[in-house]
Amino acid sequence: MSKNNAKGGKGEFEFPQPAKKQTFSQMIYDPQDGTFFGRTGKNWSQLLLFYTIFYIVLAALFTICMQGLLSTVSDTEPKWKLHDSLIGTNPGLGFRPLSEQTERGSVISFDGRKQAESDYWIELIDDFLRDYNHTEGREMKHCGFGQTHDPTDVCVVNTELFGSCSRANNYGYKTNQPCIFLKLNKIYGWVPEVFDEAQKGMPEDLRTVINDTKKEERQQIWVSCNGHLGKDKENFQNIRYFPSQGFPSYYYPFLNQGGYLSPLVAVQFNSPPKGQMLDVECRAWAKNIHYSGSARDRMGSVTFQIIVD
Amino acid sequence: MSAQHGRADSYRVATVIATDDDNRTADGQYKSRRKMPAKVNKKENLDDLKQELDIDFHKISPEELYQRFQTHPENGLSHAKAKENLERDGPNALTPPKQTPEWVKFCKNLFGGFAMLLWIGAILCFVAYSIQASTSEEPADDNLYLGIVLSAVVIVTGIFSYYQESKSSKIMESFKNMVPQFATVIREGEKLTLRAEDLVLGDVVEVKFGDRIPADIRIIEARTFKVDNSSLTGESEPQSRGAEFTHENPLETKNLAFFSTNAVEGTAKGVVISCGDHTVMGRIAGLASGLDTGETPIAKEIHHFIHLITGVAVFLGVTFFVIAFILGYHWLDAVIFLIGIIVANVPEGLLATVTVCLTLTAKRMASKNCLVKNLEAVETLGSTSTICSDKTGTLTQNRMTVAHMWFDNQIIEADTTEDQSGVQYDRTSPGFKALSRIATLCNRAEFKGGQDGVPILKKEVSGDASEAALLKCMELALGDVMNIRKRNKKIAEVPFNSTNKYQVSIHECEDANDPRFLLVMKGAPERILERCSTIFINGKEKVLDEEMKEAFNNAYMELGGLGERVLGFCDFMLPSDKYPSGFKFNTDDINFPIDNLRFVGLMSMIDPPRAAVPDAVAKCRSAGIKVIMVTGDHPITAKAIAKSVGIISEGNETVEDIAQRLNIPISEVNPREAKAAVVHGAELRDVSSDQLDEILRYHTEIVFARTSPQQKLIIVEGCQRMGAIVAVTGDGVNDSPALKKADIGVAMGIAGSDVSKQAADMILLDDNFASIVTGVEEGRLIFDNLKKSIAYTLTSNIPEISPFLAFILCDIPLPLGTVTILCIDLGTDMIPAISLAYEGPEADIMKRRPRNPEIDNLVPAISLAYEHAEADIMKRPPRDPFNDKLVNSRLISMAYGQIGMIQAAAGFFVYFVIMAENGFLPRKLFGIRKMWDSKAVNDLTDSYGQEWTYRDRKTLEYTCHTAFFISIVVVQWADLIICKTRRNSIFQQGMRNWALNFGLIFETVLAAFLSYCPGMEKGLRMYPLKLVWWFPAIPFALAIFIYDETRRFYLRRNPGGWLEQETYY
Repeated sequence: MSKNNAKGGKGEFEFPQPAKKQTFSQMIYDPQDGTFFGRTGKNWSQLLLFYTIFYIVLAALFTICMQGLLSTVSDTEPKWKLHDSLIGTNPGLGFRPLSEQTERGSVISFDGRKQAESDYWIELIDDFLRDYNHTEGREMKHCGFGQTHDPTDVCVVNTELFGSCSRANNYGYKTNQPCIFLKLNKIYGWVPEVFDEAQKGMPEDLRTVINDTKKEERQQIWVSCNGHLGKDKENFQNIRYFPSQGFPSYYYPFLNQGGYLSPLVAVQFNSPPKGQMLDVECRAWAKNIHYSGSARDRMGSVTFQIIVD
Repeated sequence: MSAQHGRADSYRVATVIATDDDNRTADGQYKSRRKMPAKVNKKENLDDLKQELDIDFHKISPEELYQRFQTHPENGLSHAKAKENLERDGPNALTPPKQTPEWVKFCKNLFGGFAMLLWIGAILCFVAYSIQASTSEEPADDNLYLGIVLSAVVIVTGIFSYYQESKSSKIMESFKNMVPQFATVIREGEKLTLRAEDLVLGDVVEVKFGDRIPADIRIIEARTFKVDNSSLTGESEPQSRGAEFTHENPLETKNLAFFSTNAVEGTAKGVVISCGDHTVMGRIAGLASGLDTGETPIAKEIHHFIHLITGVAVFLGVTFFVIAFILGYHWLDAVIFLIGIIVANVPEGLLATVTVCLTLTAKRMASKNCLVKNLEAVETLGSTSTICSDKTGTLTQNRMTVAHMWFDNQIIEADTTEDQSGVQYDRTSPGFKALSRIATLCNRAEFKGGQDGVPILKKEVSGDASEAALLKCMELALGDVMNIRKRNKKIAEVPFNSTNKYQVSIHECEDANDPRFLLVMKGAPERILERCSTIFINGKEKVLDEEMKEAFNNAYMELGGLGERVLGFCDFMLPSDKYPSGFKFNTDDINFPIDNLRFVGLMSMIDPPRAAVPDAVAKCRSAGIKVIMVTGDHPITAKAIAKSVGIISEGNETVEDIAQRLNIPISEVNPREAKAAVVHGAELRDVSSDQLDEILRYHTEIVFARTSPQQKLIIVEGCQRMGAIVAVTGDGVNDSPALKKADIGVAMGIAGSDVSKQAADMILLDDNFASIVTGVEEGRLIFDNLKKSIAYTLTSNIPEISPFLAFILCDIPLPLGTVTILCIDLGTDMIPAISLAYEGPEADIMKRRPRNPEIDNLVPAISLAYEHAEADIMKRPPRDPFNDKLVNSRLISMAYGQIGMIQAAAGFFVYFVIMAENGFLPRKLFGIRKMWDSKAVNDLTDSYGQEWTYRDRKTLEYTCHTAFFISIVVVQWADLIICKTRRNSIFQQGMRNWALNFGLIFETVLAAFLSYCPGMEKGLRMYPLKLVWWFPAIPFALAIFIYDETRRFYLRRNPGGWLEQETYY
């Protein structure tokens, strides 16, 4: 009660009144109170100072935490590997050439007679293979089946074995017989468990290839390309794989060795249908590569489209 | 102000006015003076109602009346005619105020608030999906999915609020139908009991005491019939009604009784002259429902808040839409960003949270006898700065009670408390014995049967209010009154009438050996004194000399000044020689002495204030709420009650008091000097709105007496004009326009009329003013708690928006998805936000030991507990509705600028941890977005040369979403704890809010469930986390806690300082 009376002063009872309306220009600058946007210069600078200090401290905290994080991860090997890491143990396949324009997706379309169109893809492959071709000064080893080598050694990928998929042949793009380079995704520490016998479910041509390969050279992660979802079987009769239809196992494991190069398989489509999209799915075969062809949950495989006009 | 009314007329006015209108007045000379202003006043007050009330049913002869309605006084209507009339006029009930159709209410919930924004988001989702579907063969169904989820969210929350709303309006319906009304009707000569709704024009009805008048009726026959018109006119005295036409004005004439007033005495028979909405009551109810009420303060606050958030969302959304274009994003991507920003900005669950919080408080209030009809009204009492309270029944017990007695030349206080814990007095003195004998015997009131277990004061009594008061008083003092009456058999009686102004009865003596008769008389004190020649003092009979008359006068003045109704008592032992046993007393032609009697004493009665009211008024005062009494009763009584409950506090004088003290004319008193004012309705009608403002502004303690419904409305409007948020309490139909106009109308659950309940927002189930204090407390608490709840919920908006901004501006993989945002807003944040509604008020620790600077400097940690904290919730002034907003810039600055930023830092840190530990070091992430999100790229290289398929890196991304989500949950722990208090330390507040503790556990369990439950990766794209990924957010949670404790420490240290101005929300 005393509070109420004290407040009244002269026995008045004042109720709060709405603030007077401000014009727009007063809102920006009110010369009467000297306020910009409702605050005086001093007020603004105090607020600014408060937030500056606040954010500096917050930034410091964040930096300390990030430093703590970076000190726990190494520069050379990921903290979590294989099963522990989200990358898992099931490598997928990659293909080149791949346009940097992501909106073009995985479509490779060109007309071999049109210089610019084929050159675009040829250049992309050139860029990709530059690492493979310029290995000067690197300590590399020519590995082979049956040889043993140190896991830290880097094996040479010989670009001269790509046959008609060579630079000299413009990777087949000028002749409308495009080559696609396949590679198996690198996963730190992953070691393949290869099929050394033809398996049920493998395409007929792969089974033939495996059976025709020497026993000691069967230490490969096999590759096969086919029409996506089993379409267009007839268009896949005339395709060739260089240097062989698989990735030799001596390239593995990948341990982030300096100068490590993924083994490549060049797939040449010798008679792609004209003016029609060829939907290709390439698949890697090994005991520890699981396959799923669904678009949402693709594993152990890759799809791309070729359109030759 | 006019000097003619009110106190200037001396105490006698009060005593006279306080007596019944049926002229049970002692003092004839004042009668005309009293009656005149009262009548003029009333006529004027009811002007507006009267204008429509152009009826002549009371003027025409009964025969004409019967003819007009084709009815018959004995046989009533024919069934056929009754049926015809019913079909023509509809049922005899008030049309309930126009209800918004249910589907409109539903649509309001479906499209109001944030719903529109979310609908836009959902539509954009569908548009984006259909465009994707038409352009690509394998459209990502993310957008379809999100669109469906968003629509579901809007629909579910809409249905939820609709359900809550309809539930609270159902409370009212159940209330309404509790007491079905029945009426006794004569049709075709047969007495029928019908539901009151089935009455029609021309029906002949019978009414007896205790009934409610079922329609407006013209009385054709009456026996000692009295009605209580208080709910219509505010007059608390019962009015007698009969068949004769006495006044042009239908409200004044004796031959009309009105719908929904109560018959308190006698019986009557009448013809129904108007039904339902056409009744006088119906018209006032119509006036009330015609008033528009405006938004409740909390609704204003919520709208303000919605505008603010919507503004921010639209601004950010559009800005980044444009930025995305400038950065060269595809327009479809830009649209998707827009959706994300909208979803992140809108606190989807907040409106539902607010509804639940209000519902919880409404429930709590209902358990404390405050029934809330309109959910939003829960908070309004908390914002209230002025309460206009009715007197009768709200502040008082609405029960005449003997307050004082005067005998043996001294005033003795009787006990008027509800529980009879008050003063006791000597019950053995001969003075009291004589007085009590008269009061017992000269009394026609009796307890109604079947009330054995009921406390005496609460028993129902048949008879006049004063006699009932005497009966109860005597029953308490002497025990079985009926037995005493039996022992003193009543031989003869002259009942009260307006010419004698006394009541006499003659009894046999209790003492069987005493053959004399005892004559007892009571009545208006002056009249009784006139008839006495002796006075009984201290067991001796003395001559009534001038000295004794002076003593009598002083006592009478004193009691009258207290606003009490005073009765005088005298007796006389009839000499046995003149009046032997078996003497035939003739009451018509009086053959016994009624002069030269023995005066015994006075008893005075008042409708005493409820026990809890003075305390409640004081609490309102200390809470900065102005309490104004607005009553239909008389000024002196009103002032007396106002003084006794503290509405006029001790030592505060009115202008008239000052004038009297200084012995100067009223016109010479500076009205500004008087803090208190008693304003008569008659003065009020001559007052302009400016003058009314002046009265309201310059007097802190105001009593308005003899006010009409119209004037109540004007007073409420006056208060609102001055910026006050006004609560009105009332029970009568005459209060209903004011109830409706008020920011919050509070009706009485027991005594209140249906119309007033309909107009009100809140109903006091126990009719007790003290319950309002509970309402104020709960209202203030919920406002504070809603602030906390909103602060808590809004904080997580920053960690929800910032991932999108980073995604667009830094080209990093998206750290937090839209679905996870919805999981936070509608999942983990909901229960904790609601649990803040259970938070107790911040204790007033100023009551604790004062600070000792020496010790405090030594032990700063301990001193924390003694800091000055937020004042008690009921000790601070009411909320300033213009500046103290529910959501103000300080709250936004705290939630968005400070705590939210720390939370965002926590989320991003966890994101970087998971990315780095899996192979993508922070550096690598910037600019990687396009490749990351391209399905064609099946071999994205990380910092260690590993190549990630699209599927694997999406798993990684969604794991990051999950981890970001979990980290928000972790930092929200700290946020919840700091939001418990706005000024106090958590160490002062404690963790006793078990709902909140449960909320902490609940959000954690829910988060764990969402992360670890198998199948979630398919359903919500939530992946199981390694246990260690729960921890990176903990330093930030600690930072939040420490930062805010420190902030509040300085807040308490420097009240009113810069930090308070900038961060105290």
